[in-house]
Amino acid sequence: MTGAAPVPVMLRTRKLVKEYRAGGLCVEALRGVDIELAFGEFVAVMGPSGSGKSTLLHVLGGLVQATSGEIWLRGQRVDGLSKRDWAIQRRRHIGYVFQSANLLSTMTVADNVELPAILSGVSARQARQRREELLDDLGLTDKARVAPARLSGGEQQRVALARALAHHPSLLLADEPTGNLDSANTRDVLRLLRRTHAEGQAILLVTHDARVASNADRVINLYDGMVADDWSFG
Amino acid sequence: MSARATPHATLRWVRADLRARPGQAVLTVGVVAGVVVALILAAMLLEGTANPWQGLFARTRGADVIIRFAHGTDLAKLAALPGVTAVGAPSVVVPATLEQGVAESPVELRAMLPAEPALSAPLVTAGSWLRAGDRTPTAVVEASFAAAAHLRVGEKIAVAGVDGNTATMTVAGLAYTTDQGFYPQATPGLIWVLPATLRQVEEVPSETEEVVGLRLGDPSANGIGQVVQEVYNAYHTTTERSPVEQVTTWQQVETSMASNDRLLGLLLALFGLIALIAALYAIANVTAARVLVQRRDIAMLGALGFTPGQVVWALLAEQTALGAAATAVGLAGAWAATRSAAFIGPPDGIPVALTPLPAAWMALAAAGTISTVAVATVVPAWRAGRVSLAAAVAASPPRGRLSRLARIGLLVRLPAPLVLGARDSFTRRLPAALTIVGVAIPMAMITIALTCWTTLDGFSGDPGRVDLAAALTVYPGSESIQAEQAQLARDPQIAADYPGAEFDTLLPGATATFTARAMGTSSRPYPFDVVQGAMFTSYNEAIAGQGLLDLLHYNVGDWVEVTVDGVPMIFHIVGRTLDPDNNGDVLDFGLDALALNAAAAEPQFYSLVLKPGVNPAAARRQLLRDSRDRLQVQQAANPADDLGVLRVAIVISVAVLAIIGLANLLTATAVGVGDHLHEADVLAAIGLTPRQVMATLVVNTTILTAVGAAVGTAAGLAVAPLLVNARGQASGLGWGIAAAPSAGLIAAMLAITLTIATAAALLVARRSARALDPLVPLRPPLTAPRPAP
Amino acid sequence: MALTLEARIVTHLRQPRVLEVTSIVRQHLLALLAKEPAHGYELKLALEQTFGAAYPSPNIGQIYVTLKRLEADGLVRSQDVAQTTRPNKRVYELTEDGRDAVAAWVDEPSDGPRVRDDFFTKLILAPRAGLADQMELINKQRHHYYRLMRGLNEVQESAGRHDTAARLLIEGNLLHLQADLDWLERCQEELV
Repeated sequence: MTGAAPVPVMLRTRKLVKEYRAGGLCVEALRGVDIELAFGEFVAVMGPSGSGKSTLLHVLGGLVQATSGEIWLRGQRVDGLSKRDWAIQRRRHIGYVFQSANLLSTMTVADNVELPAILSGVSARQARQRREELLDDLGLTDKARVAPARLSGGEQQRVALARALAHHPSLLLADEPTGNLDSANTRDVLRLLRRTHAEGQAILLVTHDARVASNADRVINLYDGMVADDWSFG
Repeated sequence: MSARATPHATLRWVRADLRARPGQAVLTVGVVAGVVVALILAAMLLEGTANPWQGLFARTRGADVIIRFAHGTDLAKLAALPGVTAVGAPSVVVPATLEQGVAESPVELRAMLPAEPALSAPLVTAGSWLRAGDRTPTAVVEASFAAAAHLRVGEKIAVAGVDGNTATMTVAGLAYTTDQGFYPQATPGLIWVLPATLRQVEEVPSETEEVVGLRLGDPSANGIGQVVQEVYNAYHTTTERSPVEQVTTWQQVETSMASNDRLLGLLLALFGLIALIAALYAIANVTAARVLVQRRDIAMLGALGFTPGQVVWALLAEQTALGAAATAVGLAGAWAATRSAAFIGPPDGIPVALTPLPAAWMALAAAGTISTVAVATVVPAWRAGRVSLAAAVAASPPRGRLSRLARIGLLVRLPAPLVLGARDSFTRRLPAALTIVGVAIPMAMITIALTCWTTLDGFSGDPGRVDLAAALTVYPGSESIQAEQAQLARDPQIAADYPGAEFDTLLPGATATFTARAMGTSSRPYPFDVVQGAMFTSYNEAIAGQGLLDLLHYNVGDWVEVTVDGVPMIFHIVGRTLDPDNNGDVLDFGLDALALNAAAAEPQFYSLVLKPGVNPAAARRQLLRDSRDRLQVQQAANPADDLGVLRVAIVISVAVLAIIGLANLLTATAVGVGDHLHEADVLAAIGLTPRQVMATLVVNTTILTAVGAAVGTAAGLAVAPLLVNARGQASGLGWGIAAAPSAGLIAAMLAITLTIATAAALLVARRSARALDPLVPLRPPLTAPRPAP
Repeated sequence: MALTLEARIVTHLRQPRVLEVTSIVRQHLLALLAKEPAHGYELKLALEQTFGAAYPSPNIGQIYVTLKRLEADGLVRSQDVAQTTRPNKRVYELTEDGRDAVAAWVDEPSDGPRVRDDFFTKLILAPRAGLADQMELINKQRHHYYRLMRGLNEVQESAGRHDTAARLLIEGNLLHLQADLDWLERCQEELV
């Protein structure tokens, strides 16, 4: 990155490639993806299954190492970081919501939500306050002491979202956060997302639900491992 | 602020994880503690079996140095000697003779008070200690001597002093002490009496001696040497003889008490080592399994921002906390056990003590357990950390494929749990292998233990196998033996009697001696058990023991020339026999072979074979009564009695191994549950109900247990006779003593093992039933309750 | 005058269009002629080949009637071409107005009650005429749907909790839009 001072971006990728090898076969999940996310921007990623949406999120979150290409997070190059350093990035700057199986099975909902906050250095009291606030927003206050196994899929998903936001990450990466939700819960989640977005949260979320995507600032369409469309609502 | 963040977060997770599955945590702690307790107790017992001195010394508060002084010595000087921390109360001792009918045994009477002394308090194992005020004075006999002399509690004995003064006493009890070794290694036999009784036997005080025990600050060889030197210096006189008659150190006593059988000690140590390894494996298994079950959560922690190193630390913290708790519980349990159980005494043998292990060993056990837990945590945790986080968290593919066999099985409509349970065994290879090993090792060792037990049973039940067909031996008393023979022939208890004579004979080459035995006649030989070759049938044939064959470097079939009682003879060795008494250094032939030497053809004794069902001890007493004490009747010692300690060791070992095997089984089942959790929806898609999933688990465990038990038992059966026979060979008994456990016993053992395994698997599967319910994750999402406006 | 909620929805969805297309055949013919002039029979064959499986093929009479109407609207002109051995055939071609209409049609996202037919036609025929790229068409249509959805979201936000009827109506439309977007994805998969 050389030349004139660029507009500060939260996230930038250049020619991001991810290949999976399985028994002699080579599957290209990402075939040169270039995207940018400004600070506080809300971007939705859509596309058919197999287009590489989830892989993109995995790579951006450091859960999977890219085969080649550059990833810049907050002006710092992160694609070559060690597992350890990625973990620290996640701890401080990234909140991640998986498509499923999001929660630590042996901790209550409250503990699950508070853990990242504590890990990032916040005091126990602050963590608890933040947890109460988030659970209230999502209508899950009465489930605070419940074990994840006893929650429905939708409830688990919402708890995962609360957990991902608990430590005020710079970037929220969410994979189908409304996948298992009915319309009422979807509305609650969207309301929360809109609120945090209004407060300056950068969000990159993968969804197949256009209703969710229409809340974003931009919609990126992935097709066959590449960006097919990148459109701002303007 | 962030420096404290990670430990804080780690602690949160560890606490939550332990609280979430308290049952599992308790189980883990229980299993590890159980293994620790079993191992420590086993170590104590094995140690005590090899040498009971340690336990006795601790129990009796034994003396480090025992000094025998001439009568009238000033003993006050002893307390002042440097290095001496305690001085026991002096006891007056006097030599005497125990008269039992015709037999006389030299004994030593030692005067003690009814009150328990501070130092060297004899440990009473039968009856009670000395009592004052009884009409017939009481005496307490040292237990090993009592066993040799057939003295029992309540018996009246007569003891005569040097001058002929006799005292009659009642045996009030039997006791052990570490002041001297066991009889007959240490003679004379020891009898404790009240001072008044001693005075009755020996009125002249100057003929007595005094025995004093000392406790030292430094009981090492160095320290003892110094103190002994001090004692000699303190009592050194140039004019008279030193009043120090004899000094005995604790090392001498310990050596004397140690089992003569070095190989027994080695065997026990080997057993202990294998048990230790098996125990460590079980602990590692339990620990690693816990980590495996948490695989998914481990991956999630990484996704949340725990670095791989921190994840390992978190697991380490959790597991070592459990391990430490388990060790503490285990040590406490072992300590409690040593407090309560006194001695475990096989009927006629030397009692086995729960030797309190030195603190260093306990510390070693604790350190060993915790480091095993640590290693068993770090390795799987590190491997789990290397797996791609996304793969581990997002999708967990079920392990194992449906093998062709399984598919066929399902097609043929075998019960699904049966087929899938079997499939698991073949496709999840590593866990299956580990479980099989975890069951096979304990089973092999239990089989070896059972073989030892059966061998011992063979000795006790069929003494003829080891030349003990004759339970009693009669020596001539006052009359000639032939006259008594007529009487013996009439005795209804006796089935047969064989004349015999024994001679200590020099080996050709005069390098060592062996025992030449003329037993029975060539036409009616003593019923030796010939394990190789045939019995002698003519006067120039003989059978030999393994020890003699080894000494001569001969084999069965060779000819040997020996001079027995001055008469040179040539024998054809036609067979081999097992002989426990003389280390196998025996040559047996018929009495008629000595016909050339008329004097020697007289039998020295008669060996009596009793009718079946007749108790040898009772028969012996009967004979003594009938002969009015004219005969001397000896009861043959059964080596099985000596090895009685081995029975104790066997029981302990089996218990330890059973615990270890069970630990491995529970672990295997828990891991199985963890694996199937991920497969639950796949299995539901196939059409299995949760109960069938549970059944799959149980079937899997049962199959693996069966395989492991079969492998282990087969290995044990193959190895055990080799081990036992090798021991027999080395101790001179000869090859061939091993008796394999009966088929019924083996079948029972396998059946019990399978039952326990299946029950344990059922228990674990039941408790996880809800987690295995594949419908749980498929429940439709509920609408969240709307908060009131 | 403040519109009722229902009225706002209706006006939101039913945008007035440049051309009110009453017959899909009309649209087909215009799009075919955008590529090159043709006579009635050629147009009938092209229709059958391109859309025969999806739509009932109009007979030649209907085609001639439609062409006549288009001529009357000034979007198409016809010319008799003399043939040597046969009777004269009438060749049709787009007028300037006709070309403008087609270009505007391509540029604007499809909408209205026959939205899928309209878009489908566009997707198949416009590239042949060199008027647009398929991926571009799909993206444009997609953007249109996004905007619609956003608008509906805002309307839904302002809907009171008691306006069940209104909410259901909006919900129905949102679901339809989602379905349309999913269909666009399928088109993308199959055609691009």
